Amino acid sequence: MLSAQDLALDYRSGGSVAHAVDTVSLAVERGSFVGLIGPSGSGKSSLMYLLSGLKRPNRGAVSFEDRDYASLSGAGLMRLRRHRFGFVFQQHFLVNYLSAVENVMVGAVKRNHDTAAYAQELLRRVGLGDKLQKRPYQLSIGERQRVAVARALVHRPAVVFADEPTASLDQATGHEVVNLLADYRRTGGGSLLVVTHDPAMLTGADRVLQMRDGRIAA
Amino acid sequence: MTNPLSLRNFYFRNKRKVLPVVGILALAILGVVVTDSLLASARETAYATFGSYQKLILVAPRATRDQDLANPLQDSLARLHDVQLQVDALDGPGGITSYYNAVIALPAQARAQLPAVQRLEIDAANARYYAARLRGDLVPLGDLIVRVQRLQTEEQAFNQLVSQLMQHPNDPRPLITYLQQHQTWLQSVLPDSAQLGRLQLAVGSASADANGLQQSLQALNRDTASLNRAGQNLADLPVPPSPTATIDQFRSALDQLTASLGSIEQPQPGLDKLLADSARIPGTALVKRDAYSNLDINLLAGNAQFDLYGIDQPGMTQLLTLYGDRVVAGRLPRQNASEIAVSEEIARSRHVAVGGQLGNNLDELDRLPDAFTVVGIIRGPTRLGIIPLDYMTQHYLFERRYQGLIVIPQSGHEQAVHEQLQRLVGNQAFRLFDWPYIKAKIDSLIANLDSINRFLILLVTLVLSLVVGLLNNLFFRQRMNEFGLLAAVGYSRWGLIRRVALESFGVTLAAWLVGVGVAVAVLSWFNAVFMIPHGLLMNVFDWNVLALHTLPIPLMVFLFGMGTVGWQLLRLDPISIIERRD
Repeated sequence: MLSAQDLALDYRSGGSVAHAVDTVSLAVERGSFVGLIGPSGSGKSSLMYLLSGLKRPNRGAVSFEDRDYASLSGAGLMRLRRHRFGFVFQQHFLVNYLSAVENVMVGAVKRNHDTAAYAQELLRRVGLGDKLQKRPYQLSIGERQRVAVARALVHRPAVVFADEPTASLDQATGHEVVNLLADYRRTGGGSLLVVTHDPAMLTGADRVLQMRDGRIAA
Repeated sequence: MTNPLSLRNFYFRNKRKVLPVVGILALAILGVVVTDSLLASARETAYATFGSYQKLILVAPRATRDQDLANPLQDSLARLHDVQLQVDALDGPGGITSYYNAVIALPAQARAQLPAVQRLEIDAANARYYAARLRGDLVPLGDLIVRVQRLQTEEQAFNQLVSQLMQHPNDPRPLITYLQQHQTWLQSVLPDSAQLGRLQLAVGSASADANGLQQSLQALNRDTASLNRAGQNLADLPVPPSPTATIDQFRSALDQLTASLGSIEQPQPGLDKLLADSARIPGTALVKRDAYSNLDINLLAGNAQFDLYGIDQPGMTQLLTLYGDRVVAGRLPRQNASEIAVSEEIARSRHVAVGGQLGNNLDELDRLPDAFTVVGIIRGPTRLGIIPLDYMTQHYLFERRYQGLIVIPQSGHEQAVHEQLQRLVGNQAFRLFDWPYIKAKIDSLIANLDSINRFLILLVTLVLSLVVGLLNNLFFRQRMNEFGLLAAVGYSRWGLIRRVALESFGVTLAAWLVGVGVAVAVLSWFNAVFMIPHGLLMNVFDWNVLALHTLPIPLMVFLFGMGTVGWQLLRLDPISIIERRD
């Protein structure tokens, strides 16, 4: 469904070139849970940006459902991210003046009663059924991240990209968040790509790819 | 479920950030509306105050009091000093008194026998008498000439002050300096017509005494010559003082001054002919003699002289009919009475009603002499002030001298009548004042204020654009995470810009509405408590001011704020925000 072929991303600084992603090929099948693990600077986040269309590669190709990203305009990539992908980042990036349920609805593509009901359902599933109207500053860090997870899932994305979603959480809360995402994979059928430096978070992954120096080591 | 990113949510949930911006902008708009409205009010009030010129042409004498008085006065003053020295010398040691003492010291027998010596004694006594009188005359005469000159200087200084204030209406320093320098003198000075009357009397007296002195001196010399010819030479008969050329010249100057002062009592030459010729100009509806005068009134942009028409009784009614005005309280002034009828706005401006008084006795800046009783209040589209011609010309020297005409052209013939009149008056004794001239003067006065106002609006707009733009940017930076996330998850860049633009537009629109609304409320209140009671005009709902003049502020603020924020949104890199660890 999502595949990359000989992907490369270079960062130029002065006269030198750093290979953030160096000739990486991979495929993420529908409904699979793929973990990307590696030390800081190994290129795992850069690879995720390339796979999700947030960045364009210097070399190689990425395609989703047989559509090559190179054939898509910037607006086309944006539409793809908006409609088919979900994102969870290390920070929650919730909108301060919106309630928890409204923040979830920020991720919705169609805003109707069904979506609103589903947003509330998601929040209940992540254990925030009694905090639908709370503002971000009224929630704990873990709760905010769970709202961010619900936001990433509300439009039923085909692929959820999670970039260090547990980095700012304690281990128990981190597990909770990853389990929520894994649940979605199981119940919703979407694929899951989780970038982390903590192998403990990838216990339920179908595949764990180790990255080092921009390459997949194993 | 509504869009969580709706404008409603944004405004109502960011009140603490939105309201200060709305407040600042609204205050600025309020300031612009108030200053603009006051300026428009100043212009409209000035137009209304001089609105009578829209239907008439004033033919006024070109000569001024200065021109009529200056030269003879200066000439006389110069000669006065010489004559004072001469008369002092005549009356001093070895002068007339010594001569008189020597004559009366002649032996009584000789005086009794010789009629010529008796004649000499009489003439010497006369000479002494006239010399003493002339010395007495010269002191107040000099003082009066100086006072009249001072009046002229004062008028020039006042005109200069008016000119300076027109050029720099916001600079009160010339006014303060003027008042400091002239306050004491202004309080002590008598009306100029009274000064002139005194001067006329003193000139007449001095002229007669100088004549008497000169004749006495001539007689003394004839007597002495006669005695010598008769061979009755008395060894100790003193030589009499000679008649002097200086006294002759002084007499001549005094005679000229008398003639000049006399001519001031007459109307300008040629007025009767001009009246008759003007009436014959095709397209002229009415011509009337006018002993015009003025009242000092406040026009908001500064004080001005409101024109009063000094016309005869039929002319008063004709003038009211011409302008569609009517007397709503009291009546028109009676013949040969110190009475005045004025429009209600002028009455309010001067805080008078029927029975009140107006004139120089009450306000020294009024040209209207003494104190005239208000007998009528006029209401109508044009502001008028009417005084009786006969009273003005029979009681006041200058008003008789400086009579003019009002010429009322038929509708559509204004330009033609103006041109004909201009040909009649030429470029000498009279000049014309009509609406284009008056309007140009008003516009020129207001233009200075207008320029200042425009500059201030520009300054306010620029400063506000910077300040509010800065606030917008600070606010935007606080929301960078929000925009970074939205860009990352697939919200389009132009969609985000449109959203921020709508947010900014809403804020500036709200500020504009609040500012204009508050301004209308403030102006309505100010109009009721100040403008109307002072006879000043204000259009509270001047859409030109409310809409056009205030729009640059929200527009500039919006464009500047959006320009900078939009630029940042276009360059926004969501990854740099996602990767931020703050």
